[in-house]
This record gives sequence, structure tokens and C-alpha cells, in this order.
Amino acid sequence: MSARRTERLLNLLFALMAASQPVTRVQLRNLVTDYHDESDEAFERMFERDKDELRGMGVPIDTVHGAGGESLGYRVRRDDYALPEIQLTPAELSVLGLAARVWEQASLGPAARSALAKLEAAGGGWADNRPVGVQTRVTAHDPALLPLLDAVRVRRPVRFDYRRPDQQEPSIRRVEPWGVLSRRGRWYVVGRDLDRDQPRAFRLSRIEGIVRRDGSPDSYTVPADVDVRALVAPPVSADRTARVRLAPGRGQELRRRALRVEPGPHAAAGGPTSADLGDDIVTVVFGEARTLAAEAAALGADAVVLEPRDVRDAVRALLAGALMEHAR
Amino acid sequence: MTSGNRLSRLLALVPWLSAHPGITMPQAAQHFGITVGQLESDLNLLVCNGLPGHRTEDLVDIQFWDEGGHIDVLDPQTLGRPLRLSPEEAMALLVALRLLAQVPGDHDRDALASVTATLEEAAGSAARGADRLQVDLEVPGDIAETVESALRARRVLRLSYLSGVGEASERDVDPIRTLALDGHAYLEAWCHRAGAIRTFRLDRIVSATVLNEPATPPPDGTGIDLPAGSGIAARQASVSNPLHPQGPPATLLLRPEASWLLDEVATDSVEQQPDGSWLVVVPVPNPTWAVRWALRLGGAARVLGPPELVEAVRTAASRALAAYEAPTLNAAAGSSGG
Repeated sequence: MSARRTERLLNLLFALMAASQPVTRVQLRNLVTDYHDESDEAFERMFERDKDELRGMGVPIDTVHGAGGESLGYRVRRDDYALPEIQLTPAELSVLGLAARVWEQASLGPAARSALAKLEAAGGGWADNRPVGVQTRVTAHDPALLPLLDAVRVRRPVRFDYRRPDQQEPSIRRVEPWGVLSRRGRWYVVGRDLDRDQPRAFRLSRIEGIVRRDGSPDSYTVPADVDVRALVAPPVSADRTARVRLAPGRGQELRRRALRVEPGPHAAAGGPTSADLGDDIVTVVFGEARTLAAEAAALGADAVVLEPRDVRDAVRALLAGALMEHAR
Repeated sequence: MTSGNRLSRLLALVPWLSAHPGITMPQAAQHFGITVGQLESDLNLLVCNGLPGHRTEDLVDIQFWDEGGHIDVLDPQTLGRPLRLSPEEAMALLVALRLLAQVPGDHDRDALASVTATLEEAAGSAARGADRLQVDLEVPGDIAETVESALRARRVLRLSYLSGVGEASERDVDPIRTLALDGHAYLEAWCHRAGAIRTFRLDRIVSATVLNEPATPPPDGTGIDLPAGSGIAARQASVSNPLHPQGPPATLLLRPEASWLLDEVATDSVEQQPDGSWLVVVPVPNPTWAVRWALRLGGAARVLGPPELVEAVRTAASRALAAYEAPTLNAAAGSSGG
């Protein structure tokens, strides 16, 4: 959007701030240059949009009504405009600086920076950039993030085109968003899928095009017991055990979560010096056979699933498939 | 940048400049994360506007064209005090502060707690809804505590560590700082064994002990300037597997049932074929990583190149199958009751 609109919003703000009385639409139309040449209809549209934008930024604009309920005009509550006076110590300013930098590589970055500047102006002082022993970054470049965060905050339904990687064409999804989660570098929105009438999680990277508003604010309630994390990654009930033979020192991820490790002869011989000395056998708990099979297959000859039979067969099928695909 | 963003910045800029008289153009631009040119155009926009009427005395007056590049706000009109935080601004800072509370490091935790409370209060109703944005961080609690205490006490840390491809090692390291990037926490440290700066992912540290020995990391010691590139593979190459330089990219053919891989790894290019399969080029942090993916995908993916990688997958698959055929193993499976 344009510098021209920024300037128009700034002028609208000045016009509202300068007035000691409520300002009518007619007056505002005269005061803001950009409104002069517009048709009545275009002016109404622009003005409504501009007013919403200012309110969204936190400008407290009141509509003043007369005794008969008629609109007298608009007013900015000057007392509520400014941040309250706050006191910040240098240590607190430094922590705020760290926090603002968390979003340096994210679309929330500009919001974090202007928030920091406002707090610095209200509290006096300046967050130094002296290096500390911690650096934190959350990256987010999905264009869907900011509109979804806005929808989540005001509880407004949205719709968007969504395409899973195995689909050729996107499908339109209509959602009441409940929350947004960043997990392992991936972004999700969770909410009620209006067409399926079910809770669903959506990857932001699979949203195509823009997120559109599809209703008004406060048009639903978020269930009190909603667990956003569990909807993104449903817990798998791990109720089976498997025994896996591991080469000495290999398969550390499996070893870490092993219920039991039966050390091979190498342990008695003084350490994992050679595979010839024998392997360890670990017992691990698992939920889905194909998940464990994929994990074991990835380890190649360093891991052999001994039992149960279905996991063992699944690994062999994966390995046979890989061999066939890469045959000379 | 939307006009909302720019206007937010303009409204923050005037009170900030008023509170920091005499600051220079480059300093202010850096603080707001913009170029001096962008700052200049912001200031030009501001001084052309002001209270209705646009008489000289109604305009915002900011001086910024002296030779030293100093900025002085002479008349901010009604913009002298900062606008309260927007819900988006409050969310950005509050979520970041809550994240910092989970990250191990030597930051001032008392200041973190008090400034979070101050911000919640100052933001008022704008802070509502901030908890609808969650950022997960996978930090093993006991390891994080040990790492933080070594960092604060400046002591050597003895680590038992698993590399990204599951190889175990023991190392003594001088902690430099911690990093948290997209859900994972890392320790950056001078590794005595490697004689270089290395980065260790906290959830791959099997055990950690603080030694009674002062840490002496190199004074200019930070290895990685965050963010180190973007994309998962870039991070694997530069952060979690610092020991493994990035190899040449691999070309894969994925059947439709393996398309989920496109969500899991960074890709250089993706092209769907008429039969629904995908031709993909992926950056490869190291060959072992690529072989593991190929074995895990079984018949659902084929590595087309480079040839050494195809050969490596073939060899690994055939050796693994042979391990399943070995008679001793069948005996072991049989004796355990199957």
C-alpha cells in the first residue's frame, strides 16, 4: 500500500487529535485533502476503512452519539491515546531489546520494533545492543501469519485456499481460528473447520494466496479446553515393544529411549571398538509399526529389528524397495 | 510493508526521537531496522503534515539535515507521546518475552520477569489474546539448567553428544552463548577436541557436567551470526551439523505417497510430473543424511543423482538387507520367541 494512504491516515489522525469537540464526517471530509475529490460513496468506503485501520493500531476513536442516538461525530480519547508513563531499568530495556530481536526474521518484526520504540520513549532510555549469552530467533515469512493472528485475536472466521502436497488443486477451507502455533520451525493454525464441523490443524506453508475475512469479530467462542499442540501433533499411544539389534555405538536415538539395553560381548571386551565384537540389543516402546520401521530402515545395516514380526517385515520391505529403486 | 506498519513506525518515531535528542540518522535508522533513505522519507512525510490548516506553525517540525546528521524534534504537534501498543505489538513482545523465559542463557531473569509484568500492565486490553500465539521450544530441562550454570559460572562443560546423524562423542567445551532458533535450543562453545567453535543442539546432549575448570573461550568468539540462512537444510548444515560441510544437492523423484517429504526438508526446486510424481532438488547437508532419507522412503523415492549418492543408497540398502538374511540374526530372532 501507498505512501499516499499513510499520509491520509496521518492527516485523519491529526484532524481527530486536534479537535476539542467531536468531528463530523463532513468536517473530516473537508480537513483531509485526500477525501475532497472522492464521490460520496467512495469517501464513505475510504473513511470506514481508514477509521478501522487506526483503531486496529490502537488509536481510541469513539463515535459520539447525541441524546436521540444520532451520530454527532468522532473523537479520540486523548487520555487513552498515550502509553502510560512507565519506569524501565537498563536491565529491563536490555531484555526488551532481546525480545524485539526474536522477530527480526519474521513478519512480526516491524511490530516488535515499533513496540520497543514506544516503550523506550515512554520509559526513557534505550535498549542497548550489548551482546549477551543468549540469542533467540523465530522465523516466519508466511504471508498468512499476520492475517491469521489478527483473526485469532478478534475471533473472526476466515477462508483460504489450502493445498496439501499430494493435491494438484487447492481447496477452499473455511475456519474459525482458535490459535496459532510454531513448532519445530513450522507454523500451524488450529480451529474449527466450518465445512467439516471438526477441529483441524493447517500448515501455514500450504495456504495459497491471501487469507480472507469471512465474518465479523467476536462471532464464535474458543472452546475452553482446546489443546492447540495436541491438535497439531496428536499424541500416539505407544503400547507395544520391539527388540532392535544395534551395532556398537550406533542408533543413539533408539538407545536413549530404550527400556533396556542388553550389551553385546564388546562391553566385556572393553568398549565399542569393533562391530565384530558383537551388537547390543535394545528394547524400545513404539506406537505405529511404520514409524519405527522407517526409523530402523534409516539406520541401514546398523539396526536390525528382531521382533515383532510386522515391524521386521516392514523394514525389509522398505529396504527392498530402496534397493530396487536404485538398482544398476 | 503495509501502510499500517509504516504509520505505526511514524507514530513511534516522533516520540522516540523526542526522547533521544541529537541522535544521528544512522543510529535511528538502525534502531528501527530501516535504511537511512527510508528514515529520511519518513521524516520528510512527517514535516509536510501536521494539524489541519497546514500553516507553518501547525506542522510537525523536525530538523535533520545538519552536517552531522543529527535529528532534533522541535515541535511534535500532538504526536509527542507514544501511542499505546496495538494488539499486534503487544503480542509480538509478550510472546517473545515468554519464549526468552524458556531459553537457557545468561540473561537477567529478574529483569525479564519484571518487564513482562510492566508490559502486560501497560498494554492493557491490547495484551488480551497474546496467548493465542504459542511458540514451542524443545528444551530438555536438566541439560538446560546445567548449560546455563556453566555459562553463568564461566566453567568448562563436559558433554556427551550425539551428532545429527546419531554418532556419539565426548567433548570438553568452553560455553560462549546459547541460541534458540525455531523450536530448538543450541549451545555455541569452543570445543577443545576440535580446536574450533562448535554448535550443539541441546536435545542431542546426552549428559552434561560442569567441571571445576575456568572456561576460556576466544574473546571474539561467536561462530554464527543468527539467522544462519533460512530453510531447514541450511540450518542443518550450519547449525546442527557444523562438522559436516554441505555437499552437492541431490535430485529425487518422489512418488505421490512420498510427497510429505516436501513439507519436511528444504528444497531448491520442485516440479510435478504428469504422472503425479515430483522431481525435486534438495540441498544435502551430508551424504549420510541423504542416504537415511532414501532408505526411510523405501520404494517411494528414487535418487537420480549425483551418481555417488545413488551408489551409496544402493550399497547401504543391500548391506542392510544382508544383515536381515544373516543366519545368526535369524537365530537371535528365533531364540527370543519372535
